Amino acid sequence: MNLDVYLLLPLISLSTVILTLMMLIAFCRNLSLTCAFSSIGLMVTLLLICAMAIDIQAAQTASLVDALVTPLIIVDAYALFFSGLMVFSSLCICLLSFNYHRARGEHQDEFYLLLLLATLGGVVLSQAAHFAMFILGLELLGVSIYAMISYPRAGRFSLEAALKYLILSGVSSAIILFGIALLYAAFGTLSFAEMAVLQRENSELDALYILAGSAMLLSGLAFKLSLAPFHMWTPDVYEGAPAPVTTLLATVSKGAIFAVLFRFFLSVDNYQYETILDGLFLLAVASIIFGNLLALTQSSIKRMLAYSSIAHLGYLLVAFIAADSVGGRALAIEASAIFLLAYFLTTIGAFGVVTVMSTEASDHDVDRLDEYEGLFWRRPMLATVFSVMLLSLAGIPLTAGFIGKFYIVVSGVDAELWSLLVIVVIGSGIGIFYYLRTIFAMTKRTMVTSVVHVPQTAGWTLAAVTLLLLVFGIYPTPVIEWVSRMAQAMT
Amino acid sequence: MIESIVIPMEHGLLLAAVLFSIGLLGVLVRRNIILILMSLEIMLNACGLAFVVVGAHWGQADGQIMFMLILSIAAAEVAVGLGLLLQAYRRFSSLDIDLANRMRG
Repeated sequence: MNLDVYLLLPLISLSTVILTLMMLIAFCRNLSLTCAFSSIGLMVTLLLICAMAIDIQAAQTASLVDALVTPLIIVDAYALFFSGLMVFSSLCICLLSFNYHRARGEHQDEFYLLLLLATLGGVVLSQAAHFAMFILGLELLGVSIYAMISYPRAGRFSLEAALKYLILSGVSSAIILFGIALLYAAFGTLSFAEMAVLQRENSELDALYILAGSAMLLSGLAFKLSLAPFHMWTPDVYEGAPAPVTTLLATVSKGAIFAVLFRFFLSVDNYQYETILDGLFLLAVASIIFGNLLALTQSSIKRMLAYSSIAHLGYLLVAFIAADSVGGRALAIEASAIFLLAYFLTTIGAFGVVTVMSTEASDHDVDRLDEYEGLFWRRPMLATVFSVMLLSLAGIPLTAGFIGKFYIVVSGVDAELWSLLVIVVIGSGIGIFYYLRTIFAMTKRTMVTSVVHVPQTAGWTLAAVTLLLLVFGIYPTPVIEWVSRMAQAMT
Repeated sequence: MIESIVIPMEHGLLLAAVLFSIGLLGVLVRRNIILILMSLEIMLNACGLAFVVVGAHWGQADGQIMFMLILSIAAAEVAVGLGLLLQAYRRFSSLDIDLANRMRG
């Protein structure tokens, strides 16, 4: 088979599924069929990506190493890892949200179409090697998410959340675009690889353009990654959006944008500018502190998870900054990949529980803390799953969250970022308080007697995610081996 | 001879930056959703202008291609935005963004 076509297989299969689904919805509206078709399509894509990932590691030699397909797309192990992560979380969201949507009446089919389009955007972002592809992926992801946030017509806050996200995300896209234009003015090319060559060999580049461009790019992307102080929209949008979309926002959107930003920084080596490093340092500190402190005061589970996701992106930035030293670069890539994997599993699980709890409430999501009181006595399994997720967010051993946070600390120690590590430790300490508070609320004996019905599809998906989380927490060796070889190949 | 009449890149970028700031100011100051969307459009078009100017400076077609990409992206974004605006008008009978601000953040 032609190598280019082989490398493009995940994108081709995902696009085929999207086009077929569009036709399918036009002729036959059936939610079960739509959901089954999109899940199978995502599963096939995931299997393809896994097969290619194993292939690439086996054939460390000639043909696959040069993974550039056209100047726009690069399909290396790094791209495959993140594409796989995007497709996996979208598959989980697809299965978790089936009953949620079925309980919400007609015209729910297009949701899956938008979900697949957003996933395609995420995959494009993680494979982008050129700013044209970067913009394409960013907007494919963004525009599908606007529509998905406003999807429930009866939703109390969904319209407001969608408007807020539309305006802020539009502004941040414009800022990113202007930053790219400035970088283009400095380099005269839009391809990451060519920029890297120029940066290495040519010392007469205009540093002012590069600095201004990188700063605009970084602040625009910080908006989308909801790093403090660009986080203002996060809690409102997380609260207003339906729970499955919140999951997507917290996982696919952030993971894909982080993947492409990290690839850009690594290949162009923007770390040589002190100003940018200082900016990143401030972003990390502010995100960890604000995220954790503001999460303390929340009485809504979704808002609490929103602030906790801000804090988690702050932890992730520690690894991002640790990639500054050339020697620690492989470790930093490994740490951020493993941290993101753990974060994805945990976030999908935590918002999955909210989705299951909200299945039968038609115009809002069940997310007030008091609605979760006594859950252990009403639904022991669901409460156990939620507790495992919260413990993993807190970074307690035997869960994936611990492995992730451990790696972050190791990469920070390796790069000697002591002040950042102190902040991470303080932040995690505060974090444990509000995670445990939620668990204690669930153990309370209360008068709430409303029965929570756990639908089958969502229930099994949650069980699978929890199992994966625990397996990864107890025996992470195979994944770590694969990821560390990927990181070695990147540097 | 021709070089004497070429507009330097800095001037074009400056114009784009001014347009961009006008758009940003509009988004921050205006309270009407339609005007906010228009200001957003000004910002995106300022980026497009910047790309065209830089592309001309390097003598490449990339800048113009990016401009066309930006045009289509802006169209998609505004299409969704107008859809939301219609819904918002139906829900709140007003286009004032502050009326739609009921959540705390």
